[in-house]
Amino acid sequence: MKKKLLSVLLIGTMAVASLAGCGGSGSSTPAGTTDTSEAATAAGAGDGQHSLTVSAWDANFNIPALQAAADDYKANVDPDFELIINEVSGSSDIETAITTAGSAGDYSQLSDIVLFQDHYIQKYVADYPDAWTPVEGADIDWSDFGEEKLSYSTIDGKHYGVPVDNGTCIFAYRTDILEEAGYTLADVTDCTWEKWISIGEDVYNKTGKYLLSMDGDGNDLPYIMLQAEGASQWKDGQPYIAENETMVKCVNIILEAIQKNALYLANSWSDYTDQTLQGDMVAGVMNGNWIIPTIKQVADNSGKWEITNIPTINGGGGYASNGGSSLYITSNCANADLAKDFLAKTFGGSTATYDKALTDGGVITCCISAGQSEIYKQGVEYFNNQPIYTDIVEMGTHVPVVEQNDYHYDCRRLVAAAIINAAQGGASVEDALKDAEEQLRFQMGL
Amino acid sequence: MKKQGKSVTAKQERAGWMFLIPATILIFIMSFYPIIQALLTSFKTGSSANMQWAKPLTYNYTRMFSDKLFMRSVTNTFLYLIIQVPIMLILAILLAQLLNNRDLKFRGLFRTCVFLPCATALVSYSLIFKSLFATQGLINSILQGLHLTSTNINFLGTAWTAKMVIIIALIWRWTGYNMVFYLAGLQGIEYSVYEAAKIDGANGWKTFWHITVPLLRPTIIMTFIMSINGTLQLFDESVNLTAGGPANSTITMSHYIYNNSFGQGVANFGYASAMSFFVFILVAILAIINLKVGDTRD
Repeated sequence: MKKKLLSVLLIGTMAVASLAGCGGSGSSTPAGTTDTSEAATAAGAGDGQHSLTVSAWDANFNIPALQAAADDYKANVDPDFELIINEVSGSSDIETAITTAGSAGDYSQLSDIVLFQDHYIQKYVADYPDAWTPVEGADIDWSDFGEEKLSYSTIDGKHYGVPVDNGTCIFAYRTDILEEAGYTLADVTDCTWEKWISIGEDVYNKTGKYLLSMDGDGNDLPYIMLQAEGASQWKDGQPYIAENETMVKCVNIILEAIQKNALYLANSWSDYTDQTLQGDMVAGVMNGNWIIPTIKQVADNSGKWEITNIPTINGGGGYASNGGSSLYITSNCANADLAKDFLAKTFGGSTATYDKALTDGGVITCCISAGQSEIYKQGVEYFNNQPIYTDIVEMGTHVPVVEQNDYHYDCRRLVAAAIINAAQGGASVEDALKDAEEQLRFQMGL
Repeated sequence: MKKQGKSVTAKQERAGWMFLIPATILIFIMSFYPIIQALLTSFKTGSSANMQWAKPLTYNYTRMFSDKLFMRSVTNTFLYLIIQVPIMLILAILLAQLLNNRDLKFRGLFRTCVFLPCATALVSYSLIFKSLFATQGLINSILQGLHLTSTNINFLGTAWTAKMVIIIALIWRWTGYNMVFYLAGLQGIEYSVYEAAKIDGANGWKTFWHITVPLLRPTIIMTFIMSINGTLQLFDESVNLTAGGPANSTITMSHYIYNNSFGQGVANFGYASAMSFFVFILVAILAIINLKVGDTRD
């Protein structure tokens, strides 16, 4: 009797488990408010004449921007429009989705529109040409966008994506901590890295805070420093690292900064955001301006931050851009005209979209005309009423275009590893960088 | 009585086959077919949407031997194997011996406690160890509270401490699992053998070495093979605990294979499959050696 009961129970749990496995995954949150029950069932493409699906990440940043665009399009173009936003946990989820769909040769599970990282898109268009629909023919004035940003999403002269954000780097400082150590924002503006390190050392000794932290595992610092110098890790499509004088100088500066406690390298991205930024370990943050919502999570520090440009080797302000993403239409989109029209009339230059994206998500546009809207000129309380958005848009115009490569992230990881090896293992900078370059060439199959 | 023309044995055999067929078909579709496909993929290169036969055909297989990062992942994995497996198995056998003692009170409770780590999901325990050994984690607080260290140690950010943390985590997670096998093995040893040894004047150590170990030999070989197999395929700890870092000093073979297929947006499935077969061959070789060494037949 006992055995019978047990087997019945087991079969029951098995049945439940297998049924649960078949159930839908992912969380579709409709942005529009009209009858969601019907539309939410569509896992892949939105097949109606008035609905689109989009996959994106970051609930604090990109999702509010998409919601703003959906509201804008609904209010001003198509009252029946509905955007179904499928929130994923990170950019890699979308990359994996494209990879697996491409391997299977079946793109039918992709959303109509996906958000995609700028640094990866060229390789993905090259590897999976059938996954995308170019946005050619959309009513967008491309000259209204920053040139550097568009250089990523334009492939063989064809526009594949519509920019969402603007990756212009900021260097934000805690002015109260600088003051405590006897400095002002003017001291770290337009300064040399040499001076910056001495200030950093001083700040650490007086206040116990690092002047900068970075994710040691995926360290963006060398790339940002190089771009601020107008230099690249690439030369004619080949890695240019160990022989690159500017690169060697930058890495030496980073090592000196670590040694003098001006710079702290976190173990991972989550350590970087959770421990160093939100854990109040630092007096400065430098990254693409998409880092601002993360800084703002610490409400207590409101009014204490201000932003400025990046130090350079020889002084004079440096400008760079890091990260950022654009929206791409997939080949699975049944209604490409609607998707193009939606993108053109929202992220293509609508102030209504960009204003709300800014206020709700802190997404700063790289659309030049939209960046001149009134709301950009307002002071931001968290940043001591500095009009940071106007400043960032202005800084963005100084960012030099440098040579890019599909292997950007491989390069970043290997240079980051070289820095850790040089800082911890005692390897010489030359050897560490040579190793990195060799491995990178290997991975690229050169 | 021969209405149906078939004997009872034939009927039973047919029933037996019927029971086997669903599982067999599933294993073929879900396991063997992908294995064959992976073998074919390992001879191809290019984007996963458009894979071509590699020229020469063994390109992926020769490539891995000049891949420093893959070689490092092999070294790391073997380091874990050589340090962790013996410690873990010795601990497991000692614990099993202790908990097999009939005079021990609360035996069940202790057994449960030692086995409990195995009930934790791999990802959860990795994350718990990550927060324990974080720069501002519990271990650092304890060390400072006891005045053993003055500054926070960056356990997961330094190469050799990160490796140690992984080994400690592995021992914590898997010792109880292996202990259960030994306990089961010990149940099979007649208690009278121990009594006889006692009468003959054997002490605890001698009993352990001359009775327990030889009689547990099949179990020991099995746990060895399973541990070697498990460690060579180590993935969760490397991914979740250290993310392979710092500077790839803790990355394992499986983690590197994953990075080559999904982790870093490169999708090099051909190369990843080739490396998987390398791991497969390693496991096979080690298992054969183990079986040969453990073979008591002359």
